[in-house]
Amino acid sequence: MKKTSTVGKSNRLVLVLLILGLSTIIFPLYMTIVIAFKQPSEMTNSINGILSLPKTWSLANFKEAMRVTDFWNSLRNSLLISVLTVVLSILLHSVMGYTLGRNKSNKFYNFVYLFIVSGMFVPFAILMMPLAKQTAEMGLANWFGVILLYVVFYMPMNIMLYSGYLVNIPLALEEAARVDGASTWRTYWEIIFPIMKPMHATVAVITALAVWNDVMTPLVIMAGSSQNTLPLAQLNFQSQFGTNYNLAFASYLLSLIPILIFYLICQKQILNGVVNGAVK
Amino acid sequence: MKHENERKRTFLLITIPILALFICFNTIPLIRGAMYSFTNSRGFGSHDVVGLRNYIDLFLDARVGKSYLFTIKLALVTTVVVNVISLILALGLNSKIRAKGFFRGAYFLPNILGSLVVGYIFNYFFTYIIPALADMTGITSLGSSILSNPNKAWIGVMIVCAWQAIAMNTIIYISGLQTVPEDVYEAGGLDGATGWKQFRYLTFPLIIPFFSINMVLCVKNFLMVFDQIIALTKGGPAQSTESISYLIYNNGMSGGQFGFQSANAVVFFIVIVVISVAQMKFSSSKEEQL
Amino acid sequence: MKGKRFKCLGLTLCCVAAAPVMWGCGNSSDGKTEIEIVQYKPEAANYFKMVEEEFNSTHDNIHLTISSPNDAMTILKTRFIREDYPDIIGIGGDINYSYFVDADILTDVSGYEGMKEINEGYLEIAEALELVPVDGTYIIPYVANAAGVLYNREMFEEHGWEIPETWDEMLSLCGEIQAEGILPFYFGFKDTWTCLAPWNAMVVELAPADTTKQVNKGQTTFTEQYRELADKYLQLLPYGPDDPFAYGYNDACTAFARGESAMYAIGSYATPQILSVNPDLKIDSFVMPACDDKDGRTLNSGIDLGFCVSAACENKEAAWEVLDFLYADENLQKYIDAQNAVPCKKGEFTLSPMLDGMSEFIKNGNMTDYQDHYYPSEMSVDALLQTLLLEKDTDGFLATFDTNWQRYNRDIIRMVQDYEASHGSAN
Repeated sequence: MKKTSTVGKSNRLVLVLLILGLSTIIFPLYMTIVIAFKQPSEMTNSINGILSLPKTWSLANFKEAMRVTDFWNSLRNSLLISVLTVVLSILLHSVMGYTLGRNKSNKFYNFVYLFIVSGMFVPFAILMMPLAKQTAEMGLANWFGVILLYVVFYMPMNIMLYSGYLVNIPLALEEAARVDGASTWRTYWEIIFPIMKPMHATVAVITALAVWNDVMTPLVIMAGSSQNTLPLAQLNFQSQFGTNYNLAFASYLLSLIPILIFYLICQKQILNGVVNGAVK
Repeated sequence: MKHENERKRTFLLITIPILALFICFNTIPLIRGAMYSFTNSRGFGSHDVVGLRNYIDLFLDARVGKSYLFTIKLALVTTVVVNVISLILALGLNSKIRAKGFFRGAYFLPNILGSLVVGYIFNYFFTYIIPALADMTGITSLGSSILSNPNKAWIGVMIVCAWQAIAMNTIIYISGLQTVPEDVYEAGGLDGATGWKQFRYLTFPLIIPFFSINMVLCVKNFLMVFDQIIALTKGGPAQSTESISYLIYNNGMSGGQFGFQSANAVVFFIVIVVISVAQMKFSSSKEEQL
Repeated sequence: MKGKRFKCLGLTLCCVAAAPVMWGCGNSSDGKTEIEIVQYKPEAANYFKMVEEEFNSTHDNIHLTISSPNDAMTILKTRFIREDYPDIIGIGGDINYSYFVDADILTDVSGYEGMKEINEGYLEIAEALELVPVDGTYIIPYVANAAGVLYNREMFEEHGWEIPETWDEMLSLCGEIQAEGILPFYFGFKDTWTCLAPWNAMVVELAPADTTKQVNKGQTTFTEQYRELADKYLQLLPYGPDDPFAYGYNDACTAFARGESAMYAIGSYATPQILSVNPDLKIDSFVMPACDDKDGRTLNSGIDLGFCVSAACENKEAAWEVLDFLYADENLQKYIDAQNAVPCKKGEFTLSPMLDGMSEFIKNGNMTDYQDHYYPSEMSVDALLQTLLLEKDTDGFLATFDTNWQRYNRDIIRMVQDYEASHGSAN
């Protein structure tokens, strides 16, 4: 933790660069907010028109957007699907990632690893029709089926992340527990699972984000049911012949808040990772 | 010995149900989907089996060939750009600076904005703002929208893909940097390793697993690019930005070429698997060297 | 420690297992016949919501559900593959309808009473959409849209510009407008589909209505039929903005609404978007004059929405009752008012003033279907047109059009030729 003066200087440089980079984010965000508050009649094709502040800061667009998307119901559905998917992913994918990561020298497990990871590259379009049929046959053409599918879809990526993380966790930790007579299952949940906390947070963020924004899976699987997720409800704002950008932007800003909060919480976990201490 | 058996049994008991779930919802539908590639199906109604016709057509179809070239070019360039920037960003966000939490939150934002918003904003940016800036500064080559130029539109797509993807790759790099123990730096510091040297010889070797994960994820995400195409160009101008996924979805699902595009999807799947396995093999050999 | 972990795990699994119960499904079918409509125009969702409510409050024996999903075609296709068919399907008269008929998904509705009141012109259009002639009728046209040229009425009155009736008049009008420092046309060619709008409006006057069918029979080629059209389309380009490929549909609507151009060659469907930006704009329309003879003009109009009954619908009587309600004059009029549409039913309806310039054609039944309703969407004719407009290579465009047509329609062409062989070439 000792700091020399050179580190201080380079940190200031880093800060300046980060602030510069930030402009590429602040600017689009500013546009989004301004448009979300404007009325369609304030939209123009000139730069001044788009960058100017709205005439009034009325929340009318947000209210209307919430009405059109049936916000609270859609939010509840989206939250339920996202939370359950994330929890199941962390539990199932981590233990599977551990199993495959610790057995890379075994031909069978190595094959299973490559087999599952290659599942990541299946274009969704080819799965769509068969899955629509299969989930209907199995009585899973509902949100529960959607969760199951997500758990399968994000399995390859998450397993890859978990087994990548394992490389830096020394085997010695488990061996010590084994000497004490703990079973492999117990060793995993009591020692390895907690150590992987930063990775859980990373997996949670990436999975939640992918699920939160996904349109196609619920569209195809839940087609015909009256349940909507937020992205599905947001489709209402755009059609080929007319898009209400003001309402849409208001709605997207609203749906951005929960996931941003979730990210900030997880980000703390990624940082407070216990691995440094454990490895030492 | 008892322990070894117990360990083996536990691993097997974990693997089998999860693998079964995976096969049920990924492998079986994939095989079912691949069956359509031997038909002239439109996705519904009756269809005829046409044998390998779709596969033969695939190699003769100029549009499909063009989409492979475009997609591969886009994926390569974007992967390099994204990894360089997000690695720098991750190092920056991991260093001891002020308002770290704020920066991390802000840099995450591009990833959450819906593609309708991203599409609108960047269209506006390329159509109105850049040309206006170019006018002011007198750079005539940027005087018209790059999205309307068949030779340059891919750059626009690349910028937006990178802008959105950097957040996720940065998170992965940050979580990788957490696995680098502090004492490595301390030891390195004593040897006089700072700056670039510290990164090259101390930090980077330790985060290679994350580097290879990011490479694979990038190549996969950008080879399968779809949302950004829909949001930005819808394949235009003059069909110059039709990605493979765009063709598969647009012509297969929305259009009536379901059987043919299924064949395209099968071939595409094999191509990506080969690329990625090669990539993983390469980086795991790197890992072993270090 | 151990206990805590397992509790966590157990709790989660319980949640997962219990969630379906909590959710429940509110399917209360108290002896009523359930009729479900899926219609593909999300922009008319409010109208259909109202229809649904009114119908249910006035009918005790039938319960009607109407959904107006976005991306309805994907939803319909995935439901078809699950063999889960809505009773009534609301779609447009385009190639998807042709495919649905060919896939035997729909039922013959020629026995429906209300059919007699439908404008024959639109029934013929529907008939022509069948890939090969089949017995019976499978769609009841509801409303049509029309494509031509929208113009800024106040601007035209102020400058005393006349509505053109021939191609030469069209070009000289454009020249006149340009001379006054005003942009004649706005184009939004960045959205490729908008490239089809002027094309469709012109093709009805310059090529036979059944061009695609003739090509399928091997009687003509597109190179022969479309050359004049392609050349004339290119002549319009100089009267648009400098880089029309930079602007999308939305930009063009906004620009036209803000008075940045005098005309906009697009269909009547664009008016709600234009008016949302400038509610005070006075818009009128005229038929695109593409030929040299003013009597050769015809209005480009096709079935925008029609209703089909699925073959799987169990209770046809209930379906007829729902259709009776939908096609009742006062309900149809409400749709027309909300969407600036043209009715497909005979009788007196009040049309939007934006269609004033086209009303004569509508009254006389001088209408021709959109040629793009016959183009398979995967061929991306819109993108080919965008390429033509960018590269201005007519020969290349026509050659590509012909080869691509053969490539993308191979199965249909074979089907048509088989049909011809077995039925003789009786047109």
